[in-house]
Amino acid sequence: MTYLTPGDPAKRLRWVILAILALVAIFAIRLIDLQIIQADAINAKSYEKRAVTRTIPALRGQILDVNGEVLAKTVFRYDINAAPSKVGPINRKISGQTVSVPVEQVAAEIAAILEMTPEEVVQKITGTGEYSQIKKRADASAYRKLVSLDVPWLYFDPVAERIYPNGAVAGNILGFITQSGLMEGIEQQYDKCLAGVDGEETFERGVDGIKIPSSVITTKKSAPGKNVRLTIDADLQYFAQQIMASTVSYLRADWGTATIIEVETGRILAAAEAPSVDPNDPGKLDADDRRARIFQAAFEPGSTLKTITAATVIETGLGTPNMKVTAPYGMIIPKSDGYKVTDSHYHPTEQLTMTGVLAESSNTGIMNVGKVVDWKTRYSFLEKFGLGKRTAINFPGEGSGLLNSTDEWSRDGVKRYVSMFGQGVSVTPIQSAMMYQAIGNNGVRLNPILVDGCEADVENFKNSEIKPGVQVISESSAAQTLSMLERVVESGAIGKYGAIPGYRVGAKTGTAQIRDENTGKYAGPYAISYFGVAPIEDPKYVVAVTAFKSRTVGSSLGVAGPFKKIMQQVLRTYRVPPSNSKTSDLPLNW
Amino acid sequence: MSSIRLTSPSRPAQRMARAQLRSVSVADRRSAKPSMQIMVLISISALAIAFANLVLHILTSTAVYELADLQQQKKELTTTTQIIAEEVDSLASQQNLSNSAQKLGMIANANPVFLSIEEQKVYGKPTAALNTEGRVARNLIANSVMTEVSTGLNASVASTDVAPATNVANQKSPVGQVISNGGVIPASPTH
Repeated sequence: MTYLTPGDPAKRLRWVILAILALVAIFAIRLIDLQIIQADAINAKSYEKRAVTRTIPALRGQILDVNGEVLAKTVFRYDINAAPSKVGPINRKISGQTVSVPVEQVAAEIAAILEMTPEEVVQKITGTGEYSQIKKRADASAYRKLVSLDVPWLYFDPVAERIYPNGAVAGNILGFITQSGLMEGIEQQYDKCLAGVDGEETFERGVDGIKIPSSVITTKKSAPGKNVRLTIDADLQYFAQQIMASTVSYLRADWGTATIIEVETGRILAAAEAPSVDPNDPGKLDADDRRARIFQAAFEPGSTLKTITAATVIETGLGTPNMKVTAPYGMIIPKSDGYKVTDSHYHPTEQLTMTGVLAESSNTGIMNVGKVVDWKTRYSFLEKFGLGKRTAINFPGEGSGLLNSTDEWSRDGVKRYVSMFGQGVSVTPIQSAMMYQAIGNNGVRLNPILVDGCEADVENFKNSEIKPGVQVISESSAAQTLSMLERVVESGAIGKYGAIPGYRVGAKTGTAQIRDENTGKYAGPYAISYFGVAPIEDPKYVVAVTAFKSRTVGSSLGVAGPFKKIMQQVLRTYRVPPSNSKTSDLPLNW
Repeated sequence: MSSIRLTSPSRPAQRMARAQLRSVSVADRRSAKPSMQIMVLISISALAIAFANLVLHILTSTAVYELADLQQQKKELTTTTQIIAEEVDSLASQQNLSNSAQKLGMIANANPVFLSIEEQKVYGKPTAALNTEGRVARNLIANSVMTEVSTGLNASVASTDVAPATNVANQKSPVGQVISNGGVIPASPTH
């Protein structure tokens, strides 16, 4: 039997105190290590685990038509993803009872919402990975339905996407944005205005994903993009596009354009093209057909340029609308090694007035009209009318057309002559339309306007400022030219097909041969045009219609009808009352 | 040193001082009471502050959950707004309107007529929109985001196609065709 010796209690107490002190010292050292020495590193590590940084996406601004109709806006789409490793049956409460729904049924439900086959969905969700994309960019409606399925292994990533509610209406002008960031059209030109600045939010969250109340939130506010308003009237644009789509199809042409300009302001009310790209799905068209040809495609205008030749002669005082001209069927250009120009159809030599030359659209007649002005003067007038220079719109990829240098004209006598009827020079549809705008606007050529501005608040939009134009010809010369154009519509063999009952309309037809770049020879099919102004007594609108490489109708007759329909719609849209003044009675022959 | 000498002989004064100390100790006991009260007050205040802090923290936490809930609601409503806006966009698109107009057999009148109230004149020749040229064409312009289309228009189409007698073209105005009366606004047949 052993007995505990009483020992020395005081000594034992000292040892106990010493042991406690040692323990306290160890804890104190560890505390100092954690709280002071390693504090920053531990805090940072902890913050990393809790802190979440989230980008606050800035929505891109809208593109509006002149009446505020939205042509382009940004919405959210949703990438639908799954975690295959977690895929399994899900539980649902049906009539108060929890029922297990097999994966196959869930897959079928997802497939029905996403317009996929159940097999496709099953294939996507099978595997051991943590991530599989079932569908990209599902719309909000599909997203909502999927959320209501309450599938724990489905994940949704919101993605901002650009949509164009009216599809291909003004599509070639609006341009588009691809997922890779490629931009065209207005989207490209006004990207700085439309694009916003993304914000950033950093916060700490608990296990349940909710923000910790006292956590520090660092916020960089997102700045949404501003809006751009076009001068385009979407309804008129649609109408013109409908006409051009039908026309191009009927003519089996490569493409067609219709440009509507407000004469007094230079505002572009419609810039219709066929084919026209649906910016929601630009891949459906070839790259060439996605272009805004009104600004980018230059072609030899043909007879529509005769108007400019005639206006130049009147302006220089060397001729009048009644100027007597001899128009043979064919004519050899002086000092050209026998280069012969003929009219489009055989006719005996005619005695036409300058007005008659335009009405008949005689090539030989216009050469006899234009030759009274020295070629340098004519060249300068072509420049004043805007040939060879891009317009002030400066649309992405805009063409300048082609007006050869004066040196080339001085060497090439043929160019000097054929330019009188629109060969040897090329123009874009917008340049052509603006030439007629100048004639309608008392001889003052304005800068065309396509955009009214860039504003954060759509209520603040005002019509773009009209900058002073160029007085190309005098008011009197412009009036005389308009009178001649009116006679083209009244009496021209083709011109009369563009006449609008009740209104005084002036126009010029154009059937331009297209130069083969390989052979250098001119041949069909033709670029056919019909450019007109109405009403003549107080010109308000220019409509310029062109079809390139018309294959079923070999003359401007193919676009006279479309011109008429579009101009009628323009006059109706803008409530232009029918004309009540007398038409011009300029003679066509002498 | 000189000060020690000065004070050391005064023993009666020291005794007095001790007596005085005793009385001070009584006074000390009295003054301990308020300091105890202050201590208690401070403790209670600290506890109250801690409790208030706890309550506020709980309330804030609850508010954060409410805020999260409201943000979720806002997100849901934003999604709903987007869904509805896209439906409206589809229905209001020119493509849908054009198709609807065509189904309804609508014809655009190529001969607009304007009435000038000031001048009491009619501009234009009033004629019925009869020609087939003015008939609204079917839509030719692509729109891949047009997910909704107007419905319930077929009945009108059927009646237009099946019963041509009801077409405007075949209708006769009970008061005769409206004709411009020398540019003057015609008098109303109603008196």
